[in-house]
Amino acid sequence: MDVAVDGNGKRMETDYGKRWTQDYPELGTDPVPVASRLTQEYFDRERDTIFSKSWLNVGREEQIAETGDFFVQDIAVCKASVLLVRGKDGEIRGFHNVCTHRASKLVWGGSGCKRTFTCKFHGWTFDESGQLVGVPDEDGFYCLDKSENGLVRVATEVWNGFIFVNLDPNPKESLQEYLGEWGERLADYPFQGRTTCYAYQGEINANWKLCVSAFNEGYHVPFVHPMSAPETFRSKKNLFCRPIWVKLYPRHQTYSFYANPDSKMTALEALSAKYGPIVSSGPLGCPPGANPAGDPDWALDANVVFPNFFVDVANDWYFTYNFWPIAPDRTFYQVKSYFVPPKTASERFAHEYGRVLLRDVLLEDVETIEHTQLGLASGVRSHYILQDSEILIRHHLKTVENHVENRV
Amino acid sequence: MTGQKLPKSFSELAPFVAQGWALATERERVAKRCSSTMEELTEFYDAVLPKVDEIMTYLDALPLNDLPEDAQRLLDLTFSLAEASMSVERYQQPGVVDGFDPERFLPFSPFGQVP
Repeated sequence: MDVAVDGNGKRMETDYGKRWTQDYPELGTDPVPVASRLTQEYFDRERDTIFSKSWLNVGREEQIAETGDFFVQDIAVCKASVLLVRGKDGEIRGFHNVCTHRASKLVWGGSGCKRTFTCKFHGWTFDESGQLVGVPDEDGFYCLDKSENGLVRVATEVWNGFIFVNLDPNPKESLQEYLGEWGERLADYPFQGRTTCYAYQGEINANWKLCVSAFNEGYHVPFVHPMSAPETFRSKKNLFCRPIWVKLYPRHQTYSFYANPDSKMTALEALSAKYGPIVSSGPLGCPPGANPAGDPDWALDANVVFPNFFVDVANDWYFTYNFWPIAPDRTFYQVKSYFVPPKTASERFAHEYGRVLLRDVLLEDVETIEHTQLGLASGVRSHYILQDSEILIRHHLKTVENHVENRV
Repeated sequence: MTGQKLPKSFSELAPFVAQGWALATERERVAKRCSSTMEELTEFYDAVLPKVDEIMTYLDALPLNDLPEDAQRLLDLTFSLAEASMSVERYQQPGVVDGFDPERFLPFSPFGQVP
């Protein structure tokens, strides 16, 4: 039994006193430089060493379940636009969304279902496998070989239903190798059955790394969520939401959040819990890969795939974040929560309750990010002082640094 | 949906339909919540909360994907209740305390339409 001290100096016993950082001595315990990593120059190096070479999640395979289903994912930091298409053979392919005639953007955004993609500029037409199949007034060209002018492929692979792309023309490792032990641990989590998706998106005026670091620690919870989640993730045993489990993989991360078993539910939350999943429904029937510590007081795991993707798994549902850099101080985000499709109105109601509660909690989180950006931009502080619970921030910044300085 | 009718056994909730609480989309429900006073939110919450179990028993006897218009309206009322409960049970004000602007946190549907 360890001791935690609250903000008023009161000492409390805790079962969650483990010092995780001591398991990773290479991370050190010093303050971590951050202001110097928000510049345009650093951003450009992140583009060249990370976003141009890493496997990046762009969605799930259920988004393009049928032949010809497609969606477009812009990757602004690399000035890239990727067209993801389900082929006749069932395979999901990624292409640079650029016509091979005069390099115009081929599909102008969104999603849908098409057997062919025709460029708005001069009508060049490509099929769902990327082949150039139609050129208006073809006789006017000199030596045009259609078979050599299909869409330019982007490396695309699927793990457990999640579609990833890699903008490197010759990725140095497969997606499976990239995800490594992290992927193996979550190989059997039932992502496939959870296909009802509630999603939000928008822009945050902050660096992408600040977005990541707002969601991979629990230390903020008592202060950022005092009204929305006053005791969901904390109790006298764990006042400051210390993790119940931490694992750092070479690049990726997992942080298990504590759930207070005695947390009092509000009146409507208690009704909703009768009909469907709630945020912290405990380890009962805990799916494979989740709650690696096997702690009965478990809420959910934040599973962070380097550089910019979270898969947060709970008992009966999961949610994801994607943070896409636009500029050193601008990030496009997408948040998606996934449930087993409701069979009854009461299940649909419970989803709506969970959707609204998660949304409001996230509005509290996201609001902090721009304030951190503004504070750092003032130049008053150059470093973060990080405590043990913030070990994932330390690790993420270190991993970014290792890439930028070509140590990987 | 422009109608106002609720299933007969829930006709006492009709005033809340008339006040515009039966809304088909999340954006409309957020706008209604944020433009209501705490008195209005509390009155709506106090009236619908005790009916939730009865509402769910009624709705669960019907096919979710083919609800009659009046039943869908009733379900939409409970979705607005989820919104109102955040104000009444947690924030003590209509919107999120120290929250990001909901106009910058926009719903979208990567898997097909969810209202």
